[in-house]
Amino acid sequence: MANRFGLPDLGVGLGLRTVHYAHVVEAQPEVDWFEILSENYMQTAGRPLHYVDAVAGRYPVAMHGVSLSIGSTDPLDRAYLIELRALRDRVKARWVSDHLCWTGVGGKNTHDLLPMPYTEEALRHVVGRVRAVQDFLGAPLALENPSSYAEHAGAQMTEWEFLARVAEDADCAILLDVNNVYVSGFNHGFDPSTYLAAIPFDRVVQLHVAGHTHHGTHIIDSHIGPVIDDVWRLLGEAWRRAGGVSVLLEWDAEIPGFEATHAEALRAKQFIGAPS
Amino acid sequence: MRLRDDQLWFARAVMDGVGIDEAPRRLTAGPKQSATERLDIYRRGYEARLVECLADDYPVLKRALGVDAFESLCRRYVEHHPSRSPNLNRFGGQMAAFCRDELEGPASKRAFATDLASLEWAIVEVIHAPRSEPLTLERFSQVPPDGWGGACLEANTAFRLLELEYPVNAYFQAVLDGADPVAPGPAWSATLVYRSGTTIWRTDLAAPAFEVLSGLVAGETLAASLSRAEVELAKLDPAEASGRVARWFREWVADGLFVRVALRLGGDSVGGAMGA
Repeated sequence: MANRFGLPDLGVGLGLRTVHYAHVVEAQPEVDWFEILSENYMQTAGRPLHYVDAVAGRYPVAMHGVSLSIGSTDPLDRAYLIELRALRDRVKARWVSDHLCWTGVGGKNTHDLLPMPYTEEALRHVVGRVRAVQDFLGAPLALENPSSYAEHAGAQMTEWEFLARVAEDADCAILLDVNNVYVSGFNHGFDPSTYLAAIPFDRVVQLHVAGHTHHGTHIIDSHIGPVIDDVWRLLGEAWRRAGGVSVLLEWDAEIPGFEATHAEALRAKQFIGAPS
Repeated sequence: MRLRDDQLWFARAVMDGVGIDEAPRRLTAGPKQSATERLDIYRRGYEARLVECLADDYPVLKRALGVDAFESLCRRYVEHHPSRSPNLNRFGGQMAAFCRDELEGPASKRAFATDLASLEWAIVEVIHAPRSEPLTLERFSQVPPDGWGGACLEANTAFRLLELEYPVNAYFQAVLDGADPVAPGPAWSATLVYRSGTTIWRTDLAAPAFEVLSGLVAGETLAASLSRAEVELAKLDPAEASGRVARWFREWVADGLFVRVALRLGGDSVGGAMGA
């Protein structure tokens, strides 16, 4: 089942991180594709653009943002959107993604992915803003399910219902992070398989996988360390439900050398049935 | 609007610690944590994320102050200067002034920390600054002899010239070299920070060179800039003085500090700027 947006299956990729810049640019390792963090290349005219231009000239890239703040009740940041679109065009990103969350309000940015209340009001609010962003970009936006550590009282639907309805009502794509499903499942006490069963997989254009940190009472989506087998198995299930889709490993702290990081990403092939 | 009210409360609780007692009413408890404990994950994450960002920008200031004092300073910085930007590239830009105004301890400690923060922020700025194609030595040498006095050099944007009360560049380099230097006493210094390709360079300047370069950066003609150092240069043998000036300009042009020469007669531009 190809996704309804006709976006390509890029294979198994890796999140581009600054500690790997020099190796990637100089050694040009064989990697299916890279995901770049949009904001790392915004509000800069210097060295980060040098590296991203070199990477985008050699590899397919997709953009992944953390500050669109699609769920905020502050107005959409037009200057941000202009710069986002310009970066998309500069690096010829295959698609642009961000998170189904809000990051700040009242003009202040927490730089965290804050949880949405799962209400009809929040749903209408997000759907309208996703449509506006897609009109501006002239392309579908992919929204990712973030990990969450708290839930607002008064929910009128589950997280997976909220995500599916946003995607359907706004006609947007989904970046499904299976590690986030696992983390939130532990933190809120739901079964990850129930979550996956409710996702409209024809809208899923990318899967994320990552390591996390278990604190006993809760799990933090730290993007540290190898991926645990339960999360790999969720990846396999999601990949099969999507009928094949781009996969990406995120590793953001205590990052090992490039080869070790890439080797961890390639473990995905053992779980999605792709030739290694 | 319930959504806006929820977000304003959540943001104030996370960023300012205000209204935490409302957590049990506004958030649900999880399987293993109370609502307040769940909110606290976001509170701690907010502070830790921004302190970590400042530590990335100011690693040597952190070393100089010690971890506890640095992190205490950063927490107060975060309170005073919450982020209002989609990314954190410029978040730490007020640290030098914050050290000057807010760092606890004797005036000498504040002054040293202020200079050190100024140097580290100059590095960040140079990383992100655009860099135009520099003026070449070949083009520079084509300035006609009778045009030298009225020539102005347009500075590249990817460099910063710092005049400092403490020799912080030497301290900075010692820390990078793995030494365990003691904080120096006050002594005038000037440091040039610039980017060439993807590499950031730092070099200390003697007072006459600093004066001349300051004049050029301020848009003064070569004649006016050189007059700033005439007292010092007059102490030298004329041949040695002219050789020293020629060496400065060769180095500065080779380092890519300028993008073009504008020739002026009587203070008026005569056009025909000589670029790269």
